Amino acid sequence: MKRLRNKYTKDERVRFISHLDLLRVFQRALRRADIKVAFSQGFNPHPKISFGPALVVGATTEADYMDVDLEEEISAEEFKKRMNKVLPPGIKIVESYEVDVNDPLSKRIKAAEYILKVNFKKNCKDVENKLEEFIKRDAIELEKETKSGKKMIDLKFYLLDLKALEIKEGYLKLYIKLKLEEGVPNPLNLLKALNEYLGDVFEMDSYKLHRKNIILE
Amino acid sequence: MEDLKDKIDALFIKVNKPTRYTGGELNSYIKNPEDVKMRFAFAFPDIYEVGMSHLGLRILYHLLNKREDVYCERVFAPWVDMEKLIREKNIPLFSLETKTPLHKFDFVGFTLQYELSYTNVINMLDLGGIPILSREREGLPFVIAGGPCAYNPSPLSEVIDFFVMGEGEEVINEVMDAYVDWKEKKGEREEFLEIVSQIKGVYVPKYYIEEYNKDGTIKDIRPIKKGVPEKVKKRIVKDFENVYHPEEQIVPFMDIVHDRIMLEVFRGCTRGCRFCQAGMIYRPLREKSKEKILELTDKLVKSTGYEEISLASLSTFDYSQIEDLIKELIEKYKDKGVGISIPSTRVDALSINLLKEIQKVRKTGLTLAPEAGTQRLRDVINKGITEEDILEATKEAFSAGWNNIKLYFMIGLPTETIEDVEGIADLAYKIVDNYKKVRGNVKNLKLTISTSTFVPKPFTPFQWARQDSIKEIIEKQDLLKKKLRSKVLKYNWHNPYMSFLEAVISRGDRKVGRAIIKAWEKGCKFDGWEEYLNYEKWEEAFKEAGVNPYFYANRERSLEEVFPWDVIDVGVNKRFLIREYKKSQERRITPDCRLYCTGCGVKDFDEGVVCFEAPKKQIYKR
Repeated sequence: MKRLRNKYTKDERVRFISHLDLLRVFQRALRRADIKVAFSQGFNPHPKISFGPALVVGATTEADYMDVDLEEEISAEEFKKRMNKVLPPGIKIVESYEVDVNDPLSKRIKAAEYILKVNFKKNCKDVENKLEEFIKRDAIELEKETKSGKKMIDLKFYLLDLKALEIKEGYLKLYIKLKLEEGVPNPLNLLKALNEYLGDVFEMDSYKLHRKNIILE
Repeated sequence: MEDLKDKIDALFIKVNKPTRYTGGELNSYIKNPEDVKMRFAFAFPDIYEVGMSHLGLRILYHLLNKREDVYCERVFAPWVDMEKLIREKNIPLFSLETKTPLHKFDFVGFTLQYELSYTNVINMLDLGGIPILSREREGLPFVIAGGPCAYNPSPLSEVIDFFVMGEGEEVINEVMDAYVDWKEKKGEREEFLEIVSQIKGVYVPKYYIEEYNKDGTIKDIRPIKKGVPEKVKKRIVKDFENVYHPEEQIVPFMDIVHDRIMLEVFRGCTRGCRFCQAGMIYRPLREKSKEKILELTDKLVKSTGYEEISLASLSTFDYSQIEDLIKELIEKYKDKGVGISIPSTRVDALSINLLKEIQKVRKTGLTLAPEAGTQRLRDVINKGITEEDILEATKEAFSAGWNNIKLYFMIGLPTETIEDVEGIADLAYKIVDNYKKVRGNVKNLKLTISTSTFVPKPFTPFQWARQDSIKEIIEKQDLLKKKLRSKVLKYNWHNPYMSFLEAVISRGDRKVGRAIIKAWEKGCKFDGWEEYLNYEKWEEAFKEAGVNPYFYANRERSLEEVFPWDVIDVGVNKRFLIREYKKSQERRITPDCRLYCTGCGVKDFDEGVVCFEAPKKQIYKR
């Protein structure tokens, strides 16, 4: 058995497919490519594929990761080539390399960088300064839905960087860097908190979110 | 155009399950609309998850797109959240592939699978910027329809420009060819309708008139245009072995109702259940060879990567080489983790044994359909199984390890009495006892009993029968709810108001069509969805259209009555249907016609129509 770590992209065409959908996409692509995946033992065996934390539905990415354990001897380069032939339009493996089978992806992923664009629904002056004030607060509290109900968390603990890339009449483009692991707040949680802070200035369902990079350790 | 695409793109983030509308799935077609001569919108009047599970769509989509001069795209009924948005923003209903408004296509083709989707047909036209009435469509697409419900074209005859009767694989190409010709000659709309009215299988409603007697029954239905056929004969694919079957299939991103490879192993059914419309209208029986099926499976697994293959037909265990086929498929695909599923299970030990093999690869549920609770009633409906068969099959299943079994029954069948209804419960408890005998206790047993309500359908031996009143249906359901109260039993029943509407529309005439339009005007849509059915609005619609719905659903017809669908010829003739209806009243059964020909008439329907005959030794005993 060997483990391949794969960096893949998901563009505009497939930005609405969910994390669960994506798992099926890769399973079926593996079958089309006729690549033998390792299966877990037990009553209900499932293919050994693991992903990093889910990307929010509607977002694109150019640097998400997926690990797959293979039963057959196949080079990373060959794997990438065969998979890209059969993946649906919009999903592509850009990098593939072998890692130790005892090297879990989840332990490696540390942080992610995002570009977030959102439209203003009303005028907002002095955005740059307000952003700075927003970050400089002692705590950035926000409510997050979890499996066990709503709870308050401090975004500050997760936020590594936030700055405006473009401030235009109609929209704002942000650079966001957040810690990344299961259950952490995502850029939309941040957007919500920022919107409240600025006094409800964004058209909240007009956003475009792109994951620019995932930082591995 | 680009502007519209942006507007549509901005909607996706606001709706539930956006991949219902985004397209772009594996094996869907991307073509440049400017490179083709015809743009065809395949319209399914229900949501994506339902429509994408339909084999007919999958066949015709690929068949049409194989043509270089055609671009076939898909459109489904938008769910209510999306409809609200596009109405608010004045965005016309669009295709998945290129986001083109419906009114820009050359054809909009609906498949009619279910009567309660008719308001969705009308709603989709309206959303797509196409007038809902055929006569108001000058300069706009031709709206056509096919599918099993089209065999009674009357209710939608003011909405649909023309119907295509029977199997579409060949006739759709003839219609497309005629269109290219007509378009090149820059013909009038009327001329095209005249041309297609000469294609076998095409019914142009406006060339026919429905006349009524004083009592509201039909006096006559006849052509009012010279040269159109008195009776429109359905189309039958004669060479089923070699007829087009897609070698690829769209693989949706989201989970759909039937998310697997669908491979049609045979068409038609020989069992002759008297309530079953599919069993009559899809005759004659035609099988694909085992070799052909294996070849297609291979291509489909390679092109889709699906983990499951469904062997589709009306009764797959009746396939003449079913044992060999299943064994070979399992052998071939078990290492790849590809399982097999069979949509319906025959009630016998052989089938259970085959299912045992199948579920070694992939767990599968077990569903049996005794249809009626007593032997008397099973004989009336010609469901050729005995109580012994049922008990033996379930016992076999329990020994093989199944704990969950589903049983399907129908209530309201002709001649049904309270004893027959109680018989459903009695049978359920006998099966529970069986489980106890095999397993020692009933700790893990879960037996689901579902009843649908009998709906008399055109072209069946029961097309003359009445449907139970809503009150009678509810009484029978209440009786079963009481009788089936047990920890190990679960009882599901079908909404009686839906079954009633289905009965009104399925045997409806053109007058019923006006009530459907009225109901849509009042906001009815998704009538087959529990949460959206609004029966009060339907009652108002019937009243305002001057239609008495009970006249259509609950009235027994005389054998002489003229039906709206008498203008269509499905191959099975009325003499046979009458004979079967009479035999049902005498509780006489008719054997499976794989044993010997029972004379339904389909063999004499057309030159070259042949019923499949299996080598004698492979015919099972019944």
